[in-house]
Amino acid sequence: MHGLDLLSWILWMPFIGMIGVLLLPKASEKAIKTWSLINTVITFLLTVVLYMKFDTTQAGMQNAFNVKIPWISQFHIFYALGVDGISMPMIILTGLLFMLCILSSWTQIKKSIKGYFALLLLLQFTVFGVFLALDFFLFYVFWEVMLLPMFFLIGVWGGENREYAAVKFFLYTFFGSILMLVGIVALYFATGQSEDSFNILALSGGKFTQNTLMLFGHSLSFSKLFFIFMFIGFAIKVPVFPFHTWLPHAHVQAPTAISVILAGVLLKMGTYGFLRIAFPIFPDSAKYFAEAIAWLGLINVIYGALCAMAQTDVKKLIAYSSVSHMGFVMLGLASMTIQGVNGAVLQMFNHGTSTAMMFFLIGIIYERSHHRWIVRPDGTYGFGGLYTQLPVYSIVFIIGMFASMGLPGMSGFISEALIFIGMYEKYTTITVLALFGLLIGAAYLLWMFKRMFFGEVNPSVKDYTDMTTLEITYMVPLCIIVIWFGIFPSPILNIMKASVGQLVSLLATF
Amino acid sequence: MHLNYLANISRYIPELILVVLMIGLILIETTYDEDQKNKKYIFITATIGLVLALAALLANLTVKSEAIFSNAVVIDPFSTTMKIMMVIGTFFSIYLSRISKEIYETLKTEYAIMAVGILIGGMLLASANNMLTLYIGIETLSILSYVMASFKKNSEQSSEAGLKYALYGGISTGLMLFGMSHIFGVLGTIQFAGLAPKLQQLTTAQSLILMPSFILFFVGIGYKIATVPFHMWAPDVYEGSPTPVTTLFAIVPKLAGISVLIRVTMIFFSAKSLIRIEWVGMIMAIAALTMTVGNVTAIGQKSVKRMLAYSSISHAGIMVAGLVMVNEIGIRAVVFYGITYVFMTLVAFYITSIVQDEHGNDHFERFTGLAYRYPLMAITMSIVMFSLTGVPPFAGFVAKFNILTTLIDSRNFSLAIILGLNSVVSAYYYLKIVRLMTLKQQETNDSIKGFGFLNQLIIVGLTLPVIVLGVFWENIFSLANSAKIFLQ
Repeated sequence: MHGLDLLSWILWMPFIGMIGVLLLPKASEKAIKTWSLINTVITFLLTVVLYMKFDTTQAGMQNAFNVKIPWISQFHIFYALGVDGISMPMIILTGLLFMLCILSSWTQIKKSIKGYFALLLLLQFTVFGVFLALDFFLFYVFWEVMLLPMFFLIGVWGGENREYAAVKFFLYTFFGSILMLVGIVALYFATGQSEDSFNILALSGGKFTQNTLMLFGHSLSFSKLFFIFMFIGFAIKVPVFPFHTWLPHAHVQAPTAISVILAGVLLKMGTYGFLRIAFPIFPDSAKYFAEAIAWLGLINVIYGALCAMAQTDVKKLIAYSSVSHMGFVMLGLASMTIQGVNGAVLQMFNHGTSTAMMFFLIGIIYERSHHRWIVRPDGTYGFGGLYTQLPVYSIVFIIGMFASMGLPGMSGFISEALIFIGMYEKYTTITVLALFGLLIGAAYLLWMFKRMFFGEVNPSVKDYTDMTTLEITYMVPLCIIVIWFGIFPSPILNIMKASVGQLVSLLATF
Repeated sequence: MHLNYLANISRYIPELILVVLMIGLILIETTYDEDQKNKKYIFITATIGLVLALAALLANLTVKSEAIFSNAVVIDPFSTTMKIMMVIGTFFSIYLSRISKEIYETLKTEYAIMAVGILIGGMLLASANNMLTLYIGIETLSILSYVMASFKKNSEQSSEAGLKYALYGGISTGLMLFGMSHIFGVLGTIQFAGLAPKLQQLTTAQSLILMPSFILFFVGIGYKIATVPFHMWAPDVYEGSPTPVTTLFAIVPKLAGISVLIRVTMIFFSAKSLIRIEWVGMIMAIAALTMTVGNVTAIGQKSVKRMLAYSSISHAGIMVAGLVMVNEIGIRAVVFYGITYVFMTLVAFYITSIVQDEHGNDHFERFTGLAYRYPLMAITMSIVMFSLTGVPPFAGFVAKFNILTTLIDSRNFSLAIILGLNSVVSAYYYLKIVRLMTLKQQETNDSIKGFGFLNQLIIVGLTLPVIVLGVFWENIFSLANSAKIFLQ
């Protein structure tokens, strides 16, 4: 296959899949599911092909794969795609998780099968679009279109309070992206509407350090103002501390597969936005606000972990643990050192796999119990003694939990260690405080485990069956990944090394 | 001189066709009895006439701009583009009146006649090149509108709508006339042609008189396009009038008003002057207010039509915002916005009208679970709601993006941010319909008679431009780009 086509094939494959689902009759549910599975497997294989062809020595965009076709030539808007070491792990992760999600939805989704799978594939299309786009306008379109399938996936197939969650999710993200849009258009004019006005790569490199603008009668730094705009846009997605309130609702209400996608891939779009857009375009402001970002990251780590500890709903607990873990990514980004940013990108990947495991596992137990209480509102335990009843499930759960906790030998450890190494010299206080986040993390996870898996066997637990073959099928790849990358992370680290190095040296010049 | 007067009549064929059509419709209406056949003839004649007018307009699009009838009327690509959109809007509103239950059977023929009359007024406004033509256009448009608003004779609401519209209309046109007379007093002419040199030589005293006169002038136009603070009539009229009439009101007078506003802005204020600064300041304030008030009041509404009325107020605000940059880039954005707005409005009102006919009212709850009965209709309605919100890849996003571009190009960051925040606010109430249609289970299993095959086809057909213009907008954008104003 010619390199030029590969990115477009990856991007449009899910779209073709969606069209296929829409053309199939509503009643043939089996055909719809099989078609979606085949489609996502092909997409995943294509991402693996991309990984194989990836040139690890090349920093920045891989020349072999770049695509650039004019879209709206009057505005110099292009259909421009590209892949580098920062987006590559995310693309593999997206390909993998969506494939597993189709499997997990196989039995769990019972209502409007056709709509569900069509929207899921549309979502995959837009996520690939965000990670591949090199044109700012294109990026924004995918970033926004992603809201539509998410809104319906949470709103139609979610839990009891799904409407509220869906609307909150939509409004929050929409608010952030509008600010980003203002920034995009401002950049377009700051570059004099040239050929490269929407070209993310051409905009990078700190070209706007001297520009100023008038707002409400005050002269402000162009770079700082629009860095803040973009920061809010991306921070809502991550979510960074004061903007995180949509996340627990969306996670708890969404169906299992959607929680997995949300935690596994969509949150990474926020941090990816920092790495691809906010930092390279406004490196001076990124530097200026680095310490503030680090403090916000610290709040995320500690506050997320403390919130998680207080939860009695296991899904909400994992949702808050995501807030905490994404805080580590923010810390790594704020350090702006080679180790720190490498750790952050690796943490994005590792968190994607380990949280995906946790959400899948919660979905599996929910299938059997139809509740998610660790402690019911009346004070009794919702589960208890699962370990003796569901041995296979428990082992997989332990693997997922330890990976999430960052136990040495598991994937989470490597990335968190890199982040701490990267930031220790710059922000010693924050590093020390953030280490407590790890401690609280271990505490809430183990406490949850104790209450659910050990102790007296809850009578209701006795009827549960252990994991089915299908469930084992989609958990095994994740188990292998979290262990393998815990011992041998270089396949991912090698890919990102050159690109991260380029970004860090750019930041170092300001 | 007199020979010249008629020499250019060939450029005026679209309007002439419509005048002939209107007379023809009246003749048919009075010749035959009130029965099905009569309605059929009327509809067929109206269709033929409107299609002919559309063809004549398209032919006009490429010919060079000129002022005809001793500078009374100007034919330029800009006015022709706006007229094309008005004709499309009128045609579909006439079709909607045929299927709507809100228009009494005996009045369906009259509806077509008056809609064509309103269209003529609107087209005159789009072409007006002196104050007299402008005034005649406004009055033609208004007087017929007052009648149409009270079309549902037995309904109290509809009569109230008509009366309210007439009272507001009378006062605002009066104020407008007052303003225009002062403008005439200062400038010594009612012509728009050849004003540019005069405007640059104004004394301070003249400027001081001129600006208040322009504000009074704006009252008349602002009332037509329902900008704050002249918007009070809109929700009541939109809610009270039968839905096909509302559809017409949301399209023709609004586009006509915007056209006048654009032309006046370009003619009087494209050169640098003191009054330009004041005018742009006023436009900015009005745009910001209109967007915000429209959106914030739309949130609490229970009636979908009323919500759409407020939303159309806020969209008028966005279009006015595009005028802050008094040049062709701004106009291009506004024209593009107008084109997309027509399609979005048509779909939204079509579906609302059909649902309302089935249930007897247009409360939000009537949309509950529509997706489970008519998935295609729910999808089109959702697309239009997302488009109105400004979510890509739909036309509404591109339209808003272009306005935003204009604002940032002219360094109006504050207005750009206000526009952006308003989009977020509007998302809330547009989502409400989407939410009810898709997320809630249906209350009943009843079928809705209005959603027959043909109507579904038309609605889908009208939604297609909303999608296509959101992705492949280059061509229409070029059309909007070439829609230049003829400046003498």
